[in-house]
Amino acid sequence: MGKVKMKRKSTLIDMTAMSDVTVLLLTFFMLTSTFLQKEPVTVLTPSSVSEQKVPTANLASVLVSPEGKVFISIAGDADAETKDTWGSEALRKTILNEAVTLYNKQHPSNPVQLTVAQRDAFSKINMFGVPFQVLPQFLSMSQTEQDKFITDMTQKGVGIPINDNKDMERLNEFQIWMRAIYNSGNDNLQKAMKKGEGIAVKADKDTPYSIVHDVLDNLQTLKMNRFSIMTALKTEQD
Amino acid sequence: MAQIEQSDGGKKKKGAQKKMSIHVDFTPMVDMNMLLITFFMLCTTMIKSQTLTISLPSNEKIEQNQMNKAKESEAITLILTTERNADGKIKKDDTGRPMSTVYYYEGMPEITDADGDGRIDNNKLKAEYFVGNDGHIQQGIRKILHDRNKQVLERIDKEKAKWRNKEFAPGNSAANDSIYQARAREIRNDSTLTRPVVIIKATPEASWESLISALDEMQINQISRYQIDNINKTDSVLILDYLAKNPKK
Repeated sequence: MGKVKMKRKSTLIDMTAMSDVTVLLLTFFMLTSTFLQKEPVTVLTPSSVSEQKVPTANLASVLVSPEGKVFISIAGDADAETKDTWGSEALRKTILNEAVTLYNKQHPSNPVQLTVAQRDAFSKINMFGVPFQVLPQFLSMSQTEQDKFITDMTQKGVGIPINDNKDMERLNEFQIWMRAIYNSGNDNLQKAMKKGEGIAVKADKDTPYSIVHDVLDNLQTLKMNRFSIMTALKTEQD
Repeated sequence: MAQIEQSDGGKKKKGAQKKMSIHVDFTPMVDMNMLLITFFMLCTTMIKSQTLTISLPSNEKIEQNQMNKAKESEAITLILTTERNADGKIKKDDTGRPMSTVYYYEGMPEITDADGDGRIDNNKLKAEYFVGNDGHIQQGIRKILHDRNKQVLERIDKEKAKWRNKEFAPGNSAANDSIYQARAREIRNDSTLTRPVVIIKATPEASWESLISALDEMQINQISRYQIDNINKTDSVLILDYLAKNPKK
């Protein structure tokens, strides 16, 4: 009688199929992803039933931290044709020039001077929020230092000053920025701002109304009466 | 699958080399892919945030006679407030909802105190909450607003039923949607119906969320005329009086 031969079984698992699946998934995520924008504070936006989407191009978004610090981020044209003139980086540079000129006109005794390198640094920053006087110092920092600086809410030099509204002759710094963004020369952005889609106000849901109201009030003073509010989609059916 | 078999033509010779199988191990590849997927999953925003467009009235001083006053019978004023701890944190109730209250009054506020007891004689202020729906029944402030805007909502519901059955443009869902939207807008702005004018005010400590909830209620209840206004002294007096008469348990 012949012996029963035990077939030796291999413990190797074929990973090819698995690999196929993961590559497919990876491709999907790579193609659909838009990266999270770096923001100085993470805010939880309130939920709403509104289903309008946030535009990705030609948008000035104003972030209000729960402490009342204000940050602005600017996105330019996404069109390939106009990218060189009005893409985000070029647009930011134009706006910076405009804003600094406006500021220096109002504060002739204490003007802000920026080097070319500092202007270049500004165009790379997604969201900024420092007073004009701190701007040269802030823009000379390395990126990690900038991140550290701007996320520290206790620091005095963080947040765009927004108080002393009302006086139209002397715009406050937030108003200078918004005015500069409006007058950047990018028609698409201006059109979007007029329609109310170009300005988005983002605030945490727990922020007291008095703090957000400051920002809204400033926008009203600038006659930017139409704007959008960033919200999240309501999850439950209520 | 991952191995290449070398066959030697079927002829087995003595001393011939054993069948070679080149096996490529894909496990590290899978590991790396998984890591990359994790990275992309954590770094992406799949859900784009939504926006709500609002327009505020101009800040300029308007002459008293130029202001378009809301008809008293149509006006309803909401005053939002949120309870906070001493350190500014929002108080939550047992179910974890923030404690936001909506005070509201209809028409003009009355703060006369004829009998001189330090209390307002006829305080029209009432308190409600954002509670959402219970099945199909409106609750809280939504019920109040729903009842005020009944005529509009009834008509829109009829149109909505038609829209659901795709009666406007059978077979063309985009046209069906746009016709419905246009009809709904027409009804919302139909001045022959009794429609409320809602004035939303928020106290300084009211949470941003409560203001958005109030704006949401306008959308849900198809109210076309609403505005955000600043709180004034009369409103504060009304709330203080209300709280004095209805002390919190």
